[in-house]
Amino acid sequence: MTWRTTMGRMGSQLLVCLVVTLCCGSCARVEEEGKVLRLPLRSDDPKSLDPVQGSTQYDNKATCQIYETLVQYKYLVRPLALEPLLLSEMPTVSEDRLTYHFKLKKGVYFHDDPCFPDGKGRELVTDDVFYSWKRMADKGNSPKSWWLFENTIQGFDNFRDEQNSAVDAKKKAIAASTSADDGQTTWRLFEVFAKKSGDDGIEEVAFDYDVPIEGFQKINDYEFHVILKEPVPRFMWVLAMFQTAIVPREAVETYGKRFGRHPVGTGPFTLAEDDWLPGQRMVYYKNPNYHASYYPSEHMPDDVAEGWTKDAGKRLPLVDRLEFHFFVQDQPMWLSFRTGKLDYTEVPDEYFDEAFIKRTRQLRPKYTREGITAQRVKLLDFIFRGFNMEDELLGGYDEKSKKLRQAISLAVDLDEFNEVFYSGINSVYDGPIPPGLDGHPTDGRAKESYRGPNLERARKLLAEAGYPDGKGLPPIEFYTSTGRNNAEQTELLKRQLSKINVNLKPNLVEFSTLIEKVNNKKAPLFGFAWGSDYPDAENNLALFYSPNVSPGSNHYNYNRPEYDRLYEQARTMPPSPERTKLYVQMRDMLIEDTPYVGSMGRTRSYLINPWLKNLKVSETFSNWPKYLDVSEPRVYATEEVN
Amino acid sequence: MWSYIIRRLIYYVPVYLAVLLLVMAVLRVQDPVTMHLGKNATEERMADVRKEFGLDQPFLLQYAVFLKSTLTLDFSENSWDFPGVTVGSMIRRAIVPSLSITVPALILTTILSICVGMVSAYYRGRSIDKSLVFLAVLGMCVSLLAYIILGQYVGAYLIARDTGHQIFAIQGYEPGLKYWAHYCLLPVLISVIVAMGYDTRFYRAVMVEETGKDYIKTALAKGISKQRVMFVHMLKNAMIPIVTRVMITLPFLITGGIVMEMYFGIPGMGRALIVAVNSKDFPVIQAFTAVFAALFIITIILTDVLYALVDPRVRLS
Repeated sequence: MTWRTTMGRMGSQLLVCLVVTLCCGSCARVEEEGKVLRLPLRSDDPKSLDPVQGSTQYDNKATCQIYETLVQYKYLVRPLALEPLLLSEMPTVSEDRLTYHFKLKKGVYFHDDPCFPDGKGRELVTDDVFYSWKRMADKGNSPKSWWLFENTIQGFDNFRDEQNSAVDAKKKAIAASTSADDGQTTWRLFEVFAKKSGDDGIEEVAFDYDVPIEGFQKINDYEFHVILKEPVPRFMWVLAMFQTAIVPREAVETYGKRFGRHPVGTGPFTLAEDDWLPGQRMVYYKNPNYHASYYPSEHMPDDVAEGWTKDAGKRLPLVDRLEFHFFVQDQPMWLSFRTGKLDYTEVPDEYFDEAFIKRTRQLRPKYTREGITAQRVKLLDFIFRGFNMEDELLGGYDEKSKKLRQAISLAVDLDEFNEVFYSGINSVYDGPIPPGLDGHPTDGRAKESYRGPNLERARKLLAEAGYPDGKGLPPIEFYTSTGRNNAEQTELLKRQLSKINVNLKPNLVEFSTLIEKVNNKKAPLFGFAWGSDYPDAENNLALFYSPNVSPGSNHYNYNRPEYDRLYEQARTMPPSPERTKLYVQMRDMLIEDTPYVGSMGRTRSYLINPWLKNLKVSETFSNWPKYLDVSEPRVYATEEVN
Repeated sequence: MWSYIIRRLIYYVPVYLAVLLLVMAVLRVQDPVTMHLGKNATEERMADVRKEFGLDQPFLLQYAVFLKSTLTLDFSENSWDFPGVTVGSMIRRAIVPSLSITVPALILTTILSICVGMVSAYYRGRSIDKSLVFLAVLGMCVSLLAYIILGQYVGAYLIARDTGHQIFAIQGYEPGLKYWAHYCLLPVLISVIVAMGYDTRFYRAVMVEETGKDYIKTALAKGISKQRVMFVHMLKNAMIPIVTRVMITLPFLITGGIVMEMYFGIPGMGRALIVAVNSKDFPVIQAFTAVFAALFIITIILTDVLYALVDPRVRLS
């Protein structure tokens, strides 16, 4: 046998081995038992699964499969409404609408975990609810959402202040006793090398969770009262937010800082630490002890045709395993979906034309042939460019300043922004209330509107404001954050305003700098967005309430006593036509004063593979994987076959 | 040789101490706590974080603590960005995925580039040489991102769509040799294609330079075949620049390919580092830099040792 032949054989053997290895690698992906959901998480890893440390939509998605809140959104019902989750029934409310009587569902157990005696999860009781909510007041937990409970429950704010002050005082005392002067540094250098690893000498100062709060009244292990400071309907929406989910004290105390990576909840899925593969995926397993929960029978009329009602009455969750795959880049997510590795995908902006016919915005036929379906969901978004109402040039409530802002607003063509940057699928509307909420104007257009483009009217108002043809108007400083396509959007804004001779001076800065500028009232015009935390316009209207001025959420520093009075009145009212009337009144007041140029709300498109069942997309809540089911995944028929 | 290594190690101790000092000083030019928490964090919160991570201590004391943890490889400090995760565990978890890509890529690139460089030098000035140089320049000109996007689309997606077999993963990583080819081969091939352009031109230049040396002429005059002169005599003498180039690359094997790891979702060191830099995760950045500096110094020493091994004229003294 010649050397060349031997080499040739070795080469071909090597090639066969490689192909076998490659195929084995790919075959191994389908060796699994039970039903598996594979969903994308368009982000890097969540930082923590501790509910009080979460804030983003991605934190929400990852967390609320494990932890549960007292109430949840009805899966199929629109407009969004609440139903009990950890409660046996919705709470009853006293006549003065201050006292809420909660009854916990019996037989709800935490996941089995070594933090419990014998490793068996114990039953959820009233104390768990109080403990979990008190964690939001403990600054040591780095809570991101204290504002949800701020100024809401009797005695809670005082409890927070007192406990955190006590902790701070103890820390200061410890620091004073251990502080080193220069003379001691040399000795402490030796100490560093002498100390054992992990013995950092930092004394933990505990927050006292056992101190009672006036507004938390325990009746027994399954019943309790919560007493509010004033009747605020938003309280119930807050209880559906994942930050208020219930955690067991044993797990928090056992795992300490690792608790954020070692979740122990009552939810439909469990997640072991080893199943969270950083940068890769999180693999959740069906909770075998999940409390009796069933697929809902309450639905909208169209849901029957969509096939979303077939599983009514089935015990949840419907799948055995749930995988969240992280995607920081859009192409891998898109291609993973197209190869059937994901059950659904969001449609990234750059893939919109690939998925939809631009003119009709219909799903392209090649996808419909494959059985792929599309869904669009309007987000509760309020995207705007805000004016600082305290700015010398742009702020103020006199006729001239108002007309200047109105002129600027009339020169801006939001439809062009929508077409250029969002393929025309977003909603453009008047006022700060997103589509789908009480107070949103019919067809997005209010009776009196200053939404552009109306250059003729803009020029007229500009002249009336004292700047005929823009003469005498200094350049307007515009602050927005770098990232995504903000630079391009700013260019478009600049071009549109130049049509009425308004000169824009853009400042693209890091988000932290933008916040700093806005909080310090140093940004005359700024680009921002607000995603509603719950489906009530009160959340958006609070952005203009004067006690919330910067550094609060009222970044416009809008201050109109009449508006404040209406807001205070509406805030405590239950949903009703009277309240909607007040919302409309406030909305129109804002449109007239024009403290912002707006508004736009994003629409997100989803493509869904044919084997994924029951997906009715919502981005307001994220605990819907428990309702999802999969039939046998299969590889698509190729286009040639079709 | 051992005495040389030990001596060099001792020489490098003050260098490493100075590097650590510099790293720490540079990372503290701007307050790391403010950078991480943002300008709008409360003073109390910033003070808490400073205290928790010892940043309220005198600089010398912080240096001593960091030095100790580096020398004992005890990176038990928690990441700021991922509470409850130690920096050490992040490094340990990320090293293997990075090496799974970079080591095979380096080996393949080096072998192929040397071979192509030699062939090119052998046929210097002829059409084969010109074609190879053209291809090398072309390889260098195309952006890595273009290779990745094309590789994912053609190598992972189109093959899966048209054959029904997912030979290459679009993204992801699984530990274990069994899955290596599925998850790592495509990024490795792309790395090889990109790196080969640079390496081939370098190795060709090295080989061409050697062909003009007297010993080559002598060998040819003695009647030794051109192939033998090229592959035995010349290759051995060209090892010094080859070793230098390979060794310089070694520390970067650990840091991984940032872009590659981001696009292929490989949880390696490059990705961990870029996530840490983006979120100003100070302990992670500090530890990664210290590890990288240590690796760099070790590589320099190893390079010197290898010089002596490949070239007897070099004496370690």
